[in-house]
Amino acid sequence: MAKKLAPQQTLNTTMVEKDMKDVVSTEKVMKVIRTICVYLFLGFMALIILFPFYWMINSSLKTLEEYKWQVPSFVPKTIVWGNYKEAFKAGNLAVLFVNTLYVGIVSTVLSLVITVLSAFAFARLEFKGKNALFAALLATMMIPGELFTITNYITVSKLGWTTGDTGTYAVLIIPFLVSVFYIYLLRQNFLQIPNELYLAAKVDGTSDIKYLWKVMIPLSLPTLISITILKMMGAWNSYIWPKLVAKDTAHTLISSGLRNAFTDANNDTNYPVQMAAVALVSLPLFLVFVFLRKYIMKGVSRSGIKG
Amino acid sequence: MNKFKFLATMLICGVVATTAAGCKNKNESDDADFISIEQVIANAKAITAGSAASQDYTVTGTPNFEVPTGGYDGSEVTISFYHTMGSNLKTVLDKYIEKFNVLYPHITVNTTQVGGYDDVRTTITTQLTAGTEPNLAYCYPDHVALYNIPKKVVHLDNLINDTNVGMTQAQIDDFIPGYWNEGRQFGDGLMYTLPFSKSTEVLYYNKTFFTANNISVPDHWFSESVDDTTSMEYVCAKIKTIDPTSIPLGYDSAANWFITMAEQCGVPYTSAKEDHYQFNNETLKAVMKRFREWRQQDWMTTQTLYGSYTSGLFVETGADKSKSYMSIGSSAGATHQRPAKVTVEDDEGNETSVYPFDVGIVEIPQMSSTNKKVISQGPSVCIFKKSNPQEVVASWLLLKYLTTSVEFQAEFALASGYVPVIQSVEQNATYASELAAADGGAHIAALAAKVCLEQKQHYYTSPAFNGSSTAREQAEALLNKCVSKETSTVNKMINEAFQDAIDECEYA
Amino acid sequence: MVDNKQQWKAWLYLAPAIVLLLLFTVWPIINTVRMAFLEGYGNLSSLNADKTFEFGIENFEKVVKYKKFTTCLKNTCLLCVLTVPISTLLALVIAVCLNSIKPFSRLLQTIYFLPYVTNSIAIGMVFASMFNIIGGADISKAVSIGIVNNVIEFFGGERIAWISTGSSYSANIAVMVIYIVWNALPFKILILLGGLQSVNKQYYDAAKIDGTSKWRVFWRITVPLLSPMIAYVLITGFIGGFKEYTATVGVFGEKMGPADDPGRLNTMVGFIYKQLEGDHQGLASAASLILFGIILVITLINLKISSKKVQY
Repeated sequence: MAKKLAPQQTLNTTMVEKDMKDVVSTEKVMKVIRTICVYLFLGFMALIILFPFYWMINSSLKTLEEYKWQVPSFVPKTIVWGNYKEAFKAGNLAVLFVNTLYVGIVSTVLSLVITVLSAFAFARLEFKGKNALFAALLATMMIPGELFTITNYITVSKLGWTTGDTGTYAVLIIPFLVSVFYIYLLRQNFLQIPNELYLAAKVDGTSDIKYLWKVMIPLSLPTLISITILKMMGAWNSYIWPKLVAKDTAHTLISSGLRNAFTDANNDTNYPVQMAAVALVSLPLFLVFVFLRKYIMKGVSRSGIKG
Repeated sequence: MNKFKFLATMLICGVVATTAAGCKNKNESDDADFISIEQVIANAKAITAGSAASQDYTVTGTPNFEVPTGGYDGSEVTISFYHTMGSNLKTVLDKYIEKFNVLYPHITVNTTQVGGYDDVRTTITTQLTAGTEPNLAYCYPDHVALYNIPKKVVHLDNLINDTNVGMTQAQIDDFIPGYWNEGRQFGDGLMYTLPFSKSTEVLYYNKTFFTANNISVPDHWFSESVDDTTSMEYVCAKIKTIDPTSIPLGYDSAANWFITMAEQCGVPYTSAKEDHYQFNNETLKAVMKRFREWRQQDWMTTQTLYGSYTSGLFVETGADKSKSYMSIGSSAGATHQRPAKVTVEDDEGNETSVYPFDVGIVEIPQMSSTNKKVISQGPSVCIFKKSNPQEVVASWLLLKYLTTSVEFQAEFALASGYVPVIQSVEQNATYASELAAADGGAHIAALAAKVCLEQKQHYYTSPAFNGSSTAREQAEALLNKCVSKETSTVNKMINEAFQDAIDECEYA
Repeated sequence: MVDNKQQWKAWLYLAPAIVLLLLFTVWPIINTVRMAFLEGYGNLSSLNADKTFEFGIENFEKVVKYKKFTTCLKNTCLLCVLTVPISTLLALVIAVCLNSIKPFSRLLQTIYFLPYVTNSIAIGMVFASMFNIIGGADISKAVSIGIVNNVIEFFGGERIAWISTGSSYSANIAVMVIYIVWNALPFKILILLGGLQSVNKQYYDAAKIDGTSKWRVFWRITVPLLSPMIAYVLITGFIGGFKEYTATVGVFGEKMGPADDPGRLNTMVGFIYKQLEGDHQGLASAASLILFGIILVITLINLKISSKKVQY
């Protein structure tokens, strides 16, 4: 433990005057104790966070019989890797992956464009009724979205989007392009960028779009990446709507496809296989996070305005 | 610190709500006793088989679909069919749709697996509002009641009787009557659905244990005398003396139990006509109170009360584990009621795997041998109205083909564990040989199907109307609550619980 | 001039969002209001050409008169009041801790994000199984008491019926709070940690030289600098909290309560869902508008506070 702390210790000592050695040593001890406490706390919370996840993996490797044991086992008695194979095959996961990826990417890109433009307008431009409009937007978040489903379904049916290939994709993508959540999130981020930068750019004659692209977007990259992840995850997890509009496997998205695939005639779900499928589906998202975490977290430090 | 102001506001919200909840006037029900169980039994026994027709099938409406002259005209139509079949069953369905297409090459059938039964209902109710509903769908009676609010379900009467596309009298008679009548339980006597594949509830018991301890299999619920050895009560008490840690009986579905008790006692549960909810009666209260005593002696449990599948309790074999020796559940779930195989060594040291105990299957206990009742479950299929009558006729042809084809019904039944809806399947060679091999081990599904088919004259279904699913939910809640809620005034609690359930049903 | 040009530009930038919102959000809301004021409105009933609905406030009356309306309201408020502050505070502490360490920081960040990528169906079942007691009428003879009770007994405590038959309301709520907080943490940690990492290190260096205590630094520097993120997390938390439904279904199933008292933990959205299941869109809409009113008031208060307190 002490070895790991070395860099911070050096950092500390350099900052402290030499004639305060006594204080330094008690401070050192305090710091070690504090660090240990922090790690203990984080470790403990991490265990709590991890447990259900572990449980899911554990369940996904069991036979259905073992899954139904009254006293659940912490390690599967017989490990059934076949559940994953079956999940992939029976769940038709390959097709679902491609569909979801397609819908996810298209809707993320479009959604980002719309979100950036709207957030820019709210954060930087002055126009009549700005605050009222923003409040109205926030208010729309407060109505349970389930109520929209039926009206929206009637709308897209009347638009003729429920038939045909492009139509089905349009139905899956378009109604959810605008998210007030994301506009709000990005506006908050834009607001943190000093207005002086924008005014300076105006004086230089830089166009809005160029300013957005060169200054605002790089500075809010972390938020944009977070939005991307949230949006992709939305596509990954959306359930009610895709089930309603996607009438064949070729258009089904992963989450609604998942839940249906492992139910037998008795309406009895093969939970281990379902858990395996859930784990499989979670994996890409997880990898995306591991891969992009660097950008999300490190990118933030770059967005700090210096001077 | 304004956060606290904010929290304070929230807290006030909560407190106001709580106080308001506390203010509702308590319905002071009296604590008088219900009628005695002896009286309930006597009443049930007074019902003779003939008078037991709890459902009225008199036709009072006019069918809403006129079959086009000449029936199906051979034109190109595409029809869609929503179901809940898993991949193994879908294979069977696809195979027979291919065969159907040999007969009708111009009818294209699209099938969609929509999830569970509830998913089918939700999807279709939404699609109905936009006019994009499928042509055919798996359905339960309460779904049909919902679809029928905008009168979108095709009455099958004219199609059945049509000279071109209809059914022969032999085909109609081939349907198991209980299943056939399920399509006519909507109050106007008209035919709304055809049965597709069915199941019922059966009593699974640990035959090895029963034989070893010389216990008779129960065929009725309540003891009429102290040595009434075939009553459930006697058997439970006896099992408890042999294995005190056991819970002798597990009943999977509390809703089914409640509704079946109403049917067996000959008292109303619901009605398809006005004044739908009729289960608030003395008889059912008395029965619930009796079951409460069972629960207190740990004689019985339900899936909700137990907290897990009651079949898990039944198939348990661990020496120090709590077990049940009887389990009432769907005949289609027989394989879940079979214990896992264990490896044993014979005298010569060879290892073989065997089932640790033999499972017996019989019909569920009754109130009266002259008024036997057992629930009928499983999907039916309904047809939706379309502007093109040819689509409706084509849908009918598919439905007729699937329900009257002996091969399909046999193959589907074997793959699903459900029983076929037509009687001639029993003569199908494959199906018959499967039935003949029925036992409480390897061929347990066949045994369940056999028991299921043996009692086909006792099937009942409860009336379907908009709200019948709420009634079912309340029935489930009611049984669980009545038998388990802690109280010092049992009668009062039961009275209130019944009134609550009625209020919930009548609310919407 | 500039002002006019800005006006014009602003609306242009907002156009795509506004068009889509009008079509897929505002219109459904208008329709919701319409349905709420048509007495006994049902989507399926409305398909009958001869069926007409009276205009009136009967739907609202009926919602408020529902015997268990107050139960739903109470549960919703209680869960909100408990979970939002707890999860925000916990997320803040975790984010600050994560930000203060170097080794394992990446690993821990990834772990804390994990719940976000798992499926809610699966997690609900897992939580239920962790707290569930399986067995007969006597809890002391239960077959399985769930891992949480195992831990409690390991430390010498007594087993508690958390969600099973005979469980108390406070035990039920405790489980719900744990599950909702667990569920809400990853998103909040992500936002707050992102915010923390964008905070200028100079503030801390200055504080360090001044010898300001950690606690003081936390309240005087970290929290104010993070205030936009905290405001965001709180507002969305409250809005999400009032729409609570899936967590309850995840733990208790559709019966929304323990076996001996179904519906005990029903929430506002639970009530709305139930009405949608039957053909009662009018009632559902009225209930939604009531819920909307409550959330609106809360959010306005929230915004007012944050406009005073939040430092941009």
